[in-house]
Amino acid sequence: MFPILSVMTYIPLLGMIIILALPRNNPNLVRWVAVGVTAIPLALGVYLYLSFDRSTASMQFVEQFDWIKPFNIQYYMGIDGLSIPMVLLTVLLTFLCVIASWGIETGVKGYYAMFLFLETGMMGVFCALDFFLFFVFWEIMLLPMYFLIGIWGGKEKVYAAIKFFLYTLFGSVLMLLVMVGMYYYSEPHTFNLLQLAQGHMFVGKTVVLFGHQLPVDKLFWIGLFIGFAIKVPVWPFHTWLPWAHVEAPTAVSVILAGVLLKMGTYGILRMNYPILPEATLWAAEFMMVLGIINILYGAFCAMAQKDLKKLVAYSSVSHMGYVMVGMASFTTAGVNGAVLQMFNHGTSTAMLFLLVGVIYDRAHHRWIVKPDGSKGFGGIAAVVPVYTGIMAIALFASLGLPGLSGFISEALVFLGAFSNPRFQTYVVIGSLGILLGAAYLLWMFMRVFLGPLNEEYKDLKDMNFREVFTLMPLCALVIVLGVYPMPVLNLMGSTIEKLLTLFS
Amino acid sequence: MGETLHNVMLLAPEVCITLFLCLLFIVDGLFPSLRSNRFPMILTVVACIASMILTAKVGKTPAAYFGGMVVNDGFTTFFRYLFFFTAAVSSYVAFGSKEVEAKSRIEFSLLLLCVTVGMSLMASASNLLVLYMGIEMVSIISFVMAGFRRDNLRSNEASFKYLVFGGVASALMIYGFSLIYGLTGSLNYSQIAASLIAAQGNVGLITWLALVLIYSGLAYKISAFPMHFWAPDVYEGAPTPITAFFSVGPKAAGFAALLRILLTVFAVKTGDGNWKAVEGLSLTSIIAVISAATMIVGNLSALGQTNVKRILAYSSIAHVGYMLMGLVTLDRSGITAIIFYLIAYCAMNIGAFWVVGVVSNIRGREDLEAFRGIGWSMPVLGTCMAIFIFSLTGIPMFSGFIGKFLIFGSVIKSGGFLWLALLGVLNSVVSLYYYVKILKSMWLDKPETEESLRLPFYHAVGLVGLAIPTIVLGLYFTPILEFAEKTLATLL
Repeated sequence: MFPILSVMTYIPLLGMIIILALPRNNPNLVRWVAVGVTAIPLALGVYLYLSFDRSTASMQFVEQFDWIKPFNIQYYMGIDGLSIPMVLLTVLLTFLCVIASWGIETGVKGYYAMFLFLETGMMGVFCALDFFLFFVFWEIMLLPMYFLIGIWGGKEKVYAAIKFFLYTLFGSVLMLLVMVGMYYYSEPHTFNLLQLAQGHMFVGKTVVLFGHQLPVDKLFWIGLFIGFAIKVPVWPFHTWLPWAHVEAPTAVSVILAGVLLKMGTYGILRMNYPILPEATLWAAEFMMVLGIINILYGAFCAMAQKDLKKLVAYSSVSHMGYVMVGMASFTTAGVNGAVLQMFNHGTSTAMLFLLVGVIYDRAHHRWIVKPDGSKGFGGIAAVVPVYTGIMAIALFASLGLPGLSGFISEALVFLGAFSNPRFQTYVVIGSLGILLGAAYLLWMFMRVFLGPLNEEYKDLKDMNFREVFTLMPLCALVIVLGVYPMPVLNLMGSTIEKLLTLFS
Repeated sequence: MGETLHNVMLLAPEVCITLFLCLLFIVDGLFPSLRSNRFPMILTVVACIASMILTAKVGKTPAAYFGGMVVNDGFTTFFRYLFFFTAAVSSYVAFGSKEVEAKSRIEFSLLLLCVTVGMSLMASASNLLVLYMGIEMVSIISFVMAGFRRDNLRSNEASFKYLVFGGVASALMIYGFSLIYGLTGSLNYSQIAASLIAAQGNVGLITWLALVLIYSGLAYKISAFPMHFWAPDVYEGAPTPITAFFSVGPKAAGFAALLRILLTVFAVKTGDGNWKAVEGLSLTSIIAVISAATMIVGNLSALGQTNVKRILAYSSIAHVGYMLMGLVTLDRSGITAIIFYLIAYCAMNIGAFWVVGVVSNIRGREDLEAFRGIGWSMPVLGTCMAIFIFSLTGIPMFSGFIGKFLIFGSVIKSGGFLWLALLGVLNSVVSLYYYVKILKSMWLDKPETEESLRLPFYHAVGLVGLAIPTIVLGLYFTPILEFAEKTLATLL
């Protein structure tokens, strides 16, 4: 069988090597090669979407063979309904980001090489079904990310890059311990995620830590959860996010918010849920509370921001809270909503970051209100109508206006959570987030786009063809999925149904 | 006579090195003009390769020889390979460096080969006196090597510091040996072990004292807590190629001696191929504490450093801490992990010091500022350094990660020292901070002036040659793992 997932994963790596071999003085050649290379996984992604069997919860397009025999480590790739939306999101956003990065002028070769390397890491994370393999891809992703933020970022790039790296590494090493622990506490010893998920292996086992007998499965759960929560990011592990998102170059912010954050929630659904169902139920309330905190905290922080990009960054914190709430509800609607929200947030935030990048390229700042209190942008709708239109779509999708994608997923999340009697109070509190979301986004829209035109920006140019081109596919997705979400919901239905049987 | 000849045959790799040593002397006397070109280096590399081939030939069956003074088993074989490889690479590094002057190259080669024989002896000794001889041979020549740049104050300081510390450590250790001799009436490992077992848990304070004293001597060699203080100063002062050698060769030799003493004298092999401490000596908790202290001291001290050589010196202390973790459980998987770690560490650490050496040759100093933007002017150098640094941090895809994975695995497997594993991973997060400072200088900071630097082909070949195994071992390590297990299985 054609190893489609491996090809999708390693084509960018190959592309990276090609790009490194290209001459240094021809940046356009490098850019076009990068476009060409990322187009291949995108095309294969379309093929995956078309030939994916929606009726089964089992793994598809599986590639499995021994990698490191003494430890029973396998090269095991495959996708199910949980991973395919993420895979599609990854290939689409990477392709668009490569085009959106046209404005990078320094170190073009290095930039695109790192970007392609990043795609390999992301693809690998979503396809790996062996914990060891997953971990390798998970960490590989950090390396290009560090350089992308640290070299091509904004003023505080060095601090942002190291903060991102340290936070994520802290989470990863806990994951490493859990990974090794799972290997030794499973019978037979294995890293295979599907085998680990069979038959509640870690229930009832204990381990001694600092003189206390502690249940292994809960320790594993906590270790994994912290690792993933840092990536989501769940409050209080979110402090790296505003730095990384704001300092990173536009395209990298898009990847960070669009794909990397989803790895956290994806990881929880892929590992914590099926492998440690008892501990997951034990921690449900905790996750729900954290989700609610994320929604509200993120929204309040976003409201206070003067920097457009920081506002979008905090809105991500808020929106990932919905995912947490949906996951913690343990209802079909809730979990479906959560995964759909992962996808929808990927598209709408990507749009927002791209749009912020567009204005930053022209005005070289992003202030809604300048730090000295004077007015930043204002009334620019009059000079950049196309830009304003697309911004409005992204914004309304993000705040959950019916008819656009965000609405469906948020509605499903709250519907699901409310139907679980344990969480009704939380849902009532959490739904305030929708109101707050509307508030900060509309307020921003009003201050930046509406009202009298700030004369300073009367010569602002509207979006060019390349920029519109990068946003159009996302725009289409946001509108189509807002009206008819079934193309994505169909993909994951069976998998989530099977996942939830563990908790009924 | 036949017996002696057979014994000498088993010592063939060391004999071979010694013969090459003599050859160097003679050639230098006859053709003084050869000393300043690459000839001594070529001869050193040839000597090392020849000895590796001989090692492969003599290492077939494990045996003790010279009346049980030295043993030749899989363990010896492994360390011989490691030492000869390290020596060959170090001489290659040194001959591309300005820090080893052309006029004294022959001395460098002579000293290096001498140390190599000493290290080899340390790994194969099964008698405390032979071990002491080996250690002294390594130490005394190391003092000279540390002070190789006679006109450089730092180098002199390094040499002197090394000497003073070494003297104290040796004195402590030999006192420990004498106590052991007084207690058991023997200097031979297996006989000491026999009398310790015969004591049946009746272990007095003196035995503990002897153990502590012997540990001090060996801890000095591997630069473990609390005998690590010399390392940063010596590493900083010595010429960089020699530092690269110090941080791997003598350290690995110290590990060889430590492992052999611990496993054959103070522990007994159990039926399932693991070990357990001799009755009455609860070694494991002590090793755990030492390991924890070593990595904490190494990592925390490295945080504030601005000299890259010092950063790497402290990092090499921290790595000793990680490696000692593998000893805590005294089981096969842990020791295998140490052996793997030594292999990985050898490539990545020499590589990292090598890069420092190249930069220091260009800029004349080794602080972080000297590395500014150098990745952009020499991408191959910068990429190799990134690989070594990420590997040292323990990030997947690189061999350092596999080393840590195996080490942490062995600790978690035993179930008893979870806190140590937790401390270990937290330490590797801390270590990221100072490692990345180097990469930040190299890549994130822009160079002040546009300068066109070219990495000499000579160095590019070597660095890539070390970077490749660092990646390959991170992705596929089954053969090395099997080799390490085989090594241990034949430990006498």
